[in-house]
Amino acid sequence: MATENILEIKNLNKSYNDSLGTENVISDMNLTVKEGDFLSILGPSGCGKTTLIRCICGFEDYEGDIFVEGEKVTKPGIDRMMVFQSFDQLYPWKTVRGNIEFPLKKQGIKDKAELDRIVKKQLELIGLSGYEDHYPHQLSGGMKQRVAIARGLALKPKIILMDEPFAALDAMTRNKLQRELHKIAEKEHLTVIFITHNIQEAIVLGTRVMLMSNHGEVKIDIENPIPKPVTPDSPGYGELWRKFEDALEN
Amino acid sequence: MKQARTQLIFVIAVLAVWEYISRSGQVSALLFPSLEKIGESLVKGFTKDDLISYTLYSMGLIARGLGIGILLSFVFSGLSVVSKHFSYIFNFVVSVMDLIPGIALLPLAILWFGIGQTTVIVIVVHGVLWPMSRNILDGFKSIPSIYVESGKNIGLNGLELVTGIYLPASFNSVLSGLRVGWARAWRGLISIEMVFGTTGSGAGIGWYIFMKRTNLDTAGVFASLLVIIFIGLIVEYGIFHIIEIKTVRKWGIIKNGN
Repeated sequence: MATENILEIKNLNKSYNDSLGTENVISDMNLTVKEGDFLSILGPSGCGKTTLIRCICGFEDYEGDIFVEGEKVTKPGIDRMMVFQSFDQLYPWKTVRGNIEFPLKKQGIKDKAELDRIVKKQLELIGLSGYEDHYPHQLSGGMKQRVAIARGLALKPKIILMDEPFAALDAMTRNKLQRELHKIAEKEHLTVIFITHNIQEAIVLGTRVMLMSNHGEVKIDIENPIPKPVTPDSPGYGELWRKFEDALEN
Repeated sequence: MKQARTQLIFVIAVLAVWEYISRSGQVSALLFPSLEKIGESLVKGFTKDDLISYTLYSMGLIARGLGIGILLSFVFSGLSVVSKHFSYIFNFVVSVMDLIPGIALLPLAILWFGIGQTTVIVIVVHGVLWPMSRNILDGFKSIPSIYVESGKNIGLNGLELVTGIYLPASFNSVLSGLRVGWARAWRGLISIEMVFGTTGSGAGIGWYIFMKRTNLDTAGVFASLLVIIFIGLIVEYGIFHIIEIKTVRKWGIIKNGN
């Protein structure tokens, strides 16, 4: 059914021009994402995966079509919230509360009680209740990323775009955040596109896992057969990991 | 505290050296008046020579000139974010105008605006506007793109992007722009007052210094310089330092140092 495709990408082409000439980053890419999909996208550096979600987010000009619920993407908007890799994505001049409230206020939510309720709910969701009045520089990297996720979720976007949000975290924090994100995504029935370099992360989080190679060529695109929660001893994990590992090597 | 102590020791040392030179008799007392003379002159300035009203007169002019200058800097720098073409033009204008000393514009300003407060304020605005805009523009340029993109992501555009993202994100540069602007305003004003003398409605501290010099009252000159320094210290520690603590320091944008 066409209506349940929340995202449709048709014949996407994207190239960058610089002094060295024109570089084709994505050529003729097609992709559809259903509502409730958690799509993990794996790929080597420079394969165009970040460019892809930047196009979806509306940060880049592109050729071809990107539709979100039938509407063509022409500029950034709150229906597609991006969570970046950098710890510096929170506004340092605002508290945790301010960071979450600011975009909401811009959307016209002025009622103090309503704002309080949303902030409280979001912080509970990400396990940071009590940190309302902290400034970003007082938080650890993992906490900052959680607040960034909460800030995005508070706007109830149609799609959440995540560009390696956990890549700069230590392994333990990373595993913890993966588990939390998985829970939140299931509970809130989120549609997520999650870029990562990490095969384990892609398999643990994704309901669908995709592997891109150069110029946006999709080499593998499968429904994740392993039931959640995925751990390294889940049946089939080893084979699936190997499959992606081999494809990445080539 | 450690910082204040070091600075205090430095000031006392400078004063001690000063007093030593003054008392040694090697230099004319006219060039190096003793601290006592300067102190006397300072007290006399306020009690007899009406130094306070000269000072207030200058402060009044500065407040207006600085206010207009700051406002224009924000407006023009903000427009540079919104419009690329405006940005090209404004960057060019700032580079050109920043090179022209206010005092060099004085003859023109007198022809255009007459001998009065308007002329002085125009020159003060000229002194503030360009260096402050330069600071703000440079600050805007060095904002991490992630703030701007995140701002666009949540639907900010044009003016909202300027006030919501650009200004707070570059607040450290804005603050140093304010400091530079304030200093340039003071300097500009005092030099004009020295050249200009009195306007119809009153005279400022620059004119006071000029009169003291004419009367070869060196202690009086130093006394009025002290007034300028005191005002500078009050503005730095009473305004800028407080703003700094309540903003960029609280936000962790600058961490330590002075």
